Amino acid sequence: MTHIALDAIVKNFGAVRVLDGCSVAVDKGTVMTLLGPSGCGKTTLLRTLAGFVEPDAGRVRVGDRDITDLPPNRRQVGYVFQSYALFPHLDVAANVAYGLRVRRVGRAETQERVRKALDLVSLSAFADRYPARLSGGQQQRVAIARAMVLEPEVLLLDEPFNALDAKLRLSMQIELRKLIERVGITSIFVTHDQQEAMTLSDRVAVMRAGRIEQVGTPIEIYDRPRTAYVAAFIGRANVLAVDVAAGRVVADPAIAAARPDGPAWLVARPENLTLEPGGEGAGWRGTVAFSTPQGATIEYEVATGAPEPLRVVTLRKVGEPPLPVGTPVRVRAVDPAACVVLEDGPDGA
Amino acid sequence: MALEAAARPRAPATLLRRILHGNGIWPAVPALLYLFVFLALPMLTLLAFGFVTIDRGRVVGDTWTLDHLKAALSDELVWRLMWRSFWVAAVSSLLTLILAYPVAYLFAETKGIWRTLILVAVISPLLTSALVRAYAWLVILGGRRGILNQTLLSLGIVDQPLRILNTDWAVLIGMTQIHLPFMILPLLAVLAERDRRLEEASLNLGASQTGTFFRVVVPMSVPAIFAGLALVFAISYTNFIVPQLLGGGSYSTLAVQVYEQTIVVLDWTRGAVLATILLTTCFAFVMGIVAFGNRLARWNEATT
Ligand SMILES: Nc1ncnc2c1ncn2[C@@H]1O[C@H](COP(=O)(O)OP(=O)(O)OP(=O)(O)O)[C@@H](O)[C@H]1O
Ligand SMILES: [Mg+2]
Repeated sequence: MTHIALDAIVKNFGAVRVLDGCSVAVDKGTVMTLLGPSGCGKTTLLRTLAGFVEPDAGRVRVGDRDITDLPPNRRQVGYVFQSYALFPHLDVAANVAYGLRVRRVGRAETQERVRKALDLVSLSAFADRYPARLSGGQQQRVAIARAMVLEPEVLLLDEPFNALDAKLRLSMQIELRKLIERVGITSIFVTHDQQEAMTLSDRVAVMRAGRIEQVGTPIEIYDRPRTAYVAAFIGRANVLAVDVAAGRVVADPAIAAARPDGPAWLVARPENLTLEPGGEGAGWRGTVAFSTPQGATIEYEVATGAPEPLRVVTLRKVGEPPLPVGTPVRVRAVDPAACVVLEDGPDGA
Repeated sequence: MALEAAARPRAPATLLRRILHGNGIWPAVPALLYLFVFLALPMLTLLAFGFVTIDRGRVVGDTWTLDHLKAALSDELVWRLMWRSFWVAAVSSLLTLILAYPVAYLFAETKGIWRTLILVAVISPLLTSALVRAYAWLVILGGRRGILNQTLLSLGIVDQPLRILNTDWAVLIGMTQIHLPFMILPLLAVLAERDRRLEEASLNLGASQTGTFFRVVVPMSVPAIFAGLALVFAISYTNFIVPQLLGGGSYSTLAVQVYEQTIVVLDWTRGAVLATILLTTCFAFVMGIVAFGNRLARWNEATT
């Protein structure tokens, strides 16, 4: 059941169109991640939902209510700001208690809920510090606690973990995920980190220049990118120009292509490619340009004459040195079905 | 070991460097020198007059004495004047705050030409002397023929002219208007530069616009509020022109007394003693205001 619906949102800042008919729907109790390069409008989209940005066109719905014209303080949409926006004149506990005080929750209950929220973000020891005396990561956790303590139905998080170290990040992700599930919060959350997107989200929306390029589960997005842009954004991908003839990719006929004959683009993940020295037959011929053993795997860059080298990741056997640079090799798809053939190239032409 | 050896011969150099560096004092030296010669020295001389006996412009006797100070402090009139100086300054500081805050807030909310206009409107009174502005109030508030009374009478709002001139009211009105810019300016800077995301955060957490104003905007401007209060209090407490002109001939405050004793009565000793009392109490009150402000804005120490 759709809980949050942003419908064809358009927003211009002066002459710049920042949101260009952007539509997102999030099911109740699920986590949607917005992924996209810096400046593509992620924050603006969240701010539209929170009511800080008035869209030039489009509607915002939460549940069965149209909240497009509702002021921000009546939306009940939790928001964790990208810049934290903690109140410098209030200590940590008072920052977290702010929303409860505004709602005139009783003193004892306020204290109890603040204590729990601070526990959750492991900041109980810092309750009486002022924000200016906290590290970036601690401030971020206060911002999360401040939003979570109200147990909102809708929670928006703008890069909430970017100041945390890897370990804390993981534990916060897991805690947040648990809390979201327990309380049944519907959330949208912005990140640059695709690993985080994979861990946390039920669905991922890839944004590009004010539009949603593709929405799907993390695995769908990874396995079946609809455009080369999405493929390159989620994980690493080789995007190469190929020719299609009779429903097959000419260079490697093992790969089926549901495309008319003619030029097309092939998306292949590095781990779905393999290489063997020399050799005749199907595949892309080139020479090893670069190799890095990475423990369990070896990463190769293979120069094929195309502008971008092919990236190939193969499993490494113990004691096996990588192929020397300059070795002529043949690159093939490991699982032809896992390759995606697209009509449009990397520049979205 | 190697470090120590390397450090030792450099010691004199670092001392020299530290003096040259001076923790940033050097650029302030011209101003400090100026203040010392043209403010501190004359003031000390003046204050010193209170601790000697002066007769016909000459210092009599060769010892310092506290007698004049004791005499002044046991004079009930001095205490009454001090109380009036205090409450007039306190009330007018609060009035300036109440009037200045909305103006500064409006300035922060406007853009472009409006901003410039507000700024010009705030600053332009400073281009005329305080004396001229006090006279202007004389014309406005003055007796039956004053602009205020004429207007009120002709509109039929009152049928007897209001007696404002030569009362506390006139002094408060004049002082508040004349000192308004000194309250507005510190507030302007802070309110215009404030971080709007904090207000968004407050709204997002469910606070109303009004609630946000009093819970976020006002507390965040506490340092500026108290800077303004301290400034306006000090200049109101020591102002003698406005009480003299608008309070009338029989209206006196501590500052007025200093002026009259020194310039009119030519009793320099008493003038100097009263000036000493005026300055010390003013300093004490200002310190009190600043200390109270700092207490309210303890968070601010954390940010700097
Ligand atoms: N108030 C504003 N006035 C004018 N332009 C704005 C405003 N807010 C955002 N923009 C512009 O809108 C575009 C999108 O900004 P937005 O903050 O939504 O990007 P983002 O996707 O969140 O980027 P990042 O990942 O760096 O946070 C940017 O080009 C930005 O310059
Ligand atoms: Mg952003």
